[in-house]
Amino acid sequence: MFRTRLKRATQCLIKPVLAGLLAAAPLAALPATAAANEKVLQLPIRTDGPKTLDPVAGSTTYENMAVSQIFETLLENKYTNPYEFEPRLLAKLPERLEDGKRYRFTLKEGVYFHDHPAFPDGKGRRMVTDDVFYSLKRIADGRYQFKNWWLLENTILGFDEFKESQNASGATFDYDAPVEGFVKINDREFEIVLREPVYRFLWVLTMFQTAIVPREVVEFYDNPDDFGFNPAGTGPFKLVDFTPRRRLIVERNENYHEVRYPAREEWSRDDRRARMHMAAGERVPFVDRIEFTMYVEDQPMWLDFNRGRIAYVEVPAEYFDQAFIRQTRQLRPEFAQRGVTYQANELLDFIFRGFNMDDPIVGGLDDRGRKLRQAINLAIDLEEFSEAFYNGLTVQYDGPIPPGLDGHPEGGRAPVSYRGPNLELARQKLAEAGYPGGEGLPRLQFYTSIGGNNAQQVEMLRRHLARVNIRLEPILVDFSTLIEATNNRRAQIFGFAWSSDYPDAENNLALFYGPNEAPGSNHYNYKNPEYDALYERVRVMEPGPERTALYEKMRDMLIEDAPYVGSMARTRYYLVNPWAVNMRPTERYWAWFKYVDVDDSKR
Amino acid sequence: MWAFIFRRLLYNIPVYLGIILLVMLALRVQDPVYAFLGKSPDQAQYDRIREDFGLNRPFVVQYLDFLKRIVTLDFSERSWDKRMPVNELIATSIPPTLLITLPQLILTGAIAISIGLIAAFFRGRGIDKTLVFLTVLGMSVSYLVYIVMGQYFGAYWLNQRFDVEFFAVQGYDERLSTVGFWAGSPIDALGQWFRYCALPVMIGVIVAIGYDTRFYRAVMVEETNRDYITTAKAKGVGRTKIMFVHMLKNALIPIITRIMITLPFVITGSILVEYYFNIPGMGRTLIEAIRGKDFPVVQTFTALFAAVFIISIILTDVLYALVDPRVRLK
Repeated sequence: MFRTRLKRATQCLIKPVLAGLLAAAPLAALPATAAANEKVLQLPIRTDGPKTLDPVAGSTTYENMAVSQIFETLLENKYTNPYEFEPRLLAKLPERLEDGKRYRFTLKEGVYFHDHPAFPDGKGRRMVTDDVFYSLKRIADGRYQFKNWWLLENTILGFDEFKESQNASGATFDYDAPVEGFVKINDREFEIVLREPVYRFLWVLTMFQTAIVPREVVEFYDNPDDFGFNPAGTGPFKLVDFTPRRRLIVERNENYHEVRYPAREEWSRDDRRARMHMAAGERVPFVDRIEFTMYVEDQPMWLDFNRGRIAYVEVPAEYFDQAFIRQTRQLRPEFAQRGVTYQANELLDFIFRGFNMDDPIVGGLDDRGRKLRQAINLAIDLEEFSEAFYNGLTVQYDGPIPPGLDGHPEGGRAPVSYRGPNLELARQKLAEAGYPGGEGLPRLQFYTSIGGNNAQQVEMLRRHLARVNIRLEPILVDFSTLIEATNNRRAQIFGFAWSSDYPDAENNLALFYGPNEAPGSNHYNYKNPEYDALYERVRVMEPGPERTALYEKMRDMLIEDAPYVGSMARTRYYLVNPWAVNMRPTERYWAWFKYVDVDDSKR
Repeated sequence: MWAFIFRRLLYNIPVYLGIILLVMLALRVQDPVYAFLGKSPDQAQYDRIREDFGLNRPFVVQYLDFLKRIVTLDFSERSWDKRMPVNELIATSIPPTLLITLPQLILTGAIAISIGLIAAFFRGRGIDKTLVFLTVLGMSVSYLVYIVMGQYFGAYWLNQRFDVEFFAVQGYDERLSTVGFWAGSPIDALGQWFRYCALPVMIGVIVAIGYDTRFYRAVMVEETNRDYITTAKAKGVGRTKIMFVHMLKNALIPIITRIMITLPFVITGSILVEYYFNIPGMGRTLIEAIRGKDFPVVQTFTALFAAVFIISIILTDVLYALVDPRVRLK
């Protein structure tokens, strides 16, 4: 009786569910996107994606990724070697005048902005010199909260004064007001005069925040934020739909100026073996449409890659062993058989734990503070950190200069090194600092952000330091509180990471330049007059052996003074699906999607 | 009744003002400006952001300004983080949440009440034990496990194995948020709803059903001991009628209480589901706003949620009077 009832009840439940599933299956399987015959490139964006498409309001990698498809910069990293740049909106590389204090630029012919109602008849107009000056002036406009002012601060003649006067209380920002360093020759030619001949200026011109925007489109909107949702640039793609947190779709710009795929000889032998040169000389972009999908969690992104739904994926740490044989770091055969290829990129990372040099215990350039910091360095085993938290996929090195840049020590080991673990020497240094056996040393406060595996990292740090009787008090806070604590010099020791903005060690060495102290990028408040004098010299030098020698000298000074514990740089692994052609992922810049093609027969 | 509603609303005004005050104070314990500074910031940037956000004004002015916005229903202030008007952000976040939480609430309620009734009626017997065991098992497994397994087996494995895509791994079709899509092509809309929302709904039901079933079963068990049930049995009334007519009707007050308490959470959504399935609903919006120190969004969300909560409590009292003639609204 009971069984009969149960059976009947079960049937009552299961039947409609099955019927529903079957009925809904064909509906659910409807294709979500794209017209036939279109070449569509599906790409992932980790996190919830860009918040704005306005170059001057952007700052994150995701904004860079999106903005770089719609806008362009005067100079651009090379696809064949992202550590070099080439002209993009320029006819040729800038001419260096007056020993690098003045640069002459010639704009490329035939560059037009995307169509937009702000233009007469809605047709995009030709880009001219005034657009360049206008775009750079926006960086100084307080309405954008000076988010990217650090790029041009103390760089262009008269620009800092322009910023001060235009943002003075009661003043209305006047874009027509002159800047001494902006010299217009004609609509295609102009010069920029620098305060000092800083070489990094050219790298700044590759950064997406300096992309060229049309004034009338920005001013078409009452609210300065609105341009970020309705952008019009000169890029290879124009916006179709941007719904923050949901989707971003761009389509081919039919009026895109002539840009061609890098020539065969520009590719290295390895690249040619990987057939990266096959599209040499062809006009880009190749695809009609790019659809970005935002992934706030890794599992869906990983599953979508495995279903062939997205062109490439940055291998999430927890899936590394699924894709690679850990010991050899070779792709597993099941992936290789599917035609999936991989690429490993060393990032320009500087992962460290910093000391507040103003702190009476861990700070100071005297022997006591220096030796204490050296002892802490010697007690920590970065290798174990790497194995435990980064799948062993990091490079450990001395100094603040990441691998691949001038000044990086050969093999990662500098002539001066306090890299641990060397517990005996650590104990000796601790005693020399006046804390024999850790006696008399108060508990040290370590600030780091909540999230990821930071809580576990803190435990390892505590264990390492406990081996030499240094006690650590971890303070886990959210990221903005961490910034606040370091900016207010409250954090004794703090956990941070720095990713180089451009491939020049000067960017990392600036982190220790005295005048950049907190709230600037010198969170350590490291102030060493000798170091500062060297920094002032190197920042106006061109790349070369003399500058590299000075970089090495500065690096060794930092290793000796030890204002941080470090360093590590991650290696990022990417997998690429076989249908994504010419794809070589890099995070150095994001304007490379125009070089990628799609072979639908391999999907 | 209207006098009762008006009076209750009046009594709740200080509570509402207090909630807003507490939330605004709690938010300001930490300085949010640091979350918005660019790389290598200076004092000028800090000051500018502080001024733009209106944080340089005295707290009382900020509080009164926000109250004015509530009274005039003006939530056009821009989100600090997302740079779009808060009302637009919330308006676009509510439909995805409702498309998950409403079906989930209805299904959970219907199934849990039915199971609770059956289990109570067969109390102590095999069917009771089995049903309670299954529902408790369902609620004992972590939400996250269901999500991870659901995505893998429901979305990925089914697709790889049978080449049919019942469910999407993640995502949302924003056309589902428009009435036009549902009215214009309801079959297509239903298909897209199934693709993006059915899996999160099923997972939500499995997890919630255990809690609800245990509650409803307890309520029903209490009812089965009442005299009217014995009387009904003595009169020879059938089991189904006793369960679904007599018992259910008399158990309505706790059922209404439970459902009405759940109702405000229909708007807040589920943070976990929305996060893992990348559904741009209210739960995700709120957690992102809290993480991003986006005060305008957190404050507006609090104001909205507190209002819905207060209204639902008042409505619960009104419903009591409607379903039980012994209850009088005074």
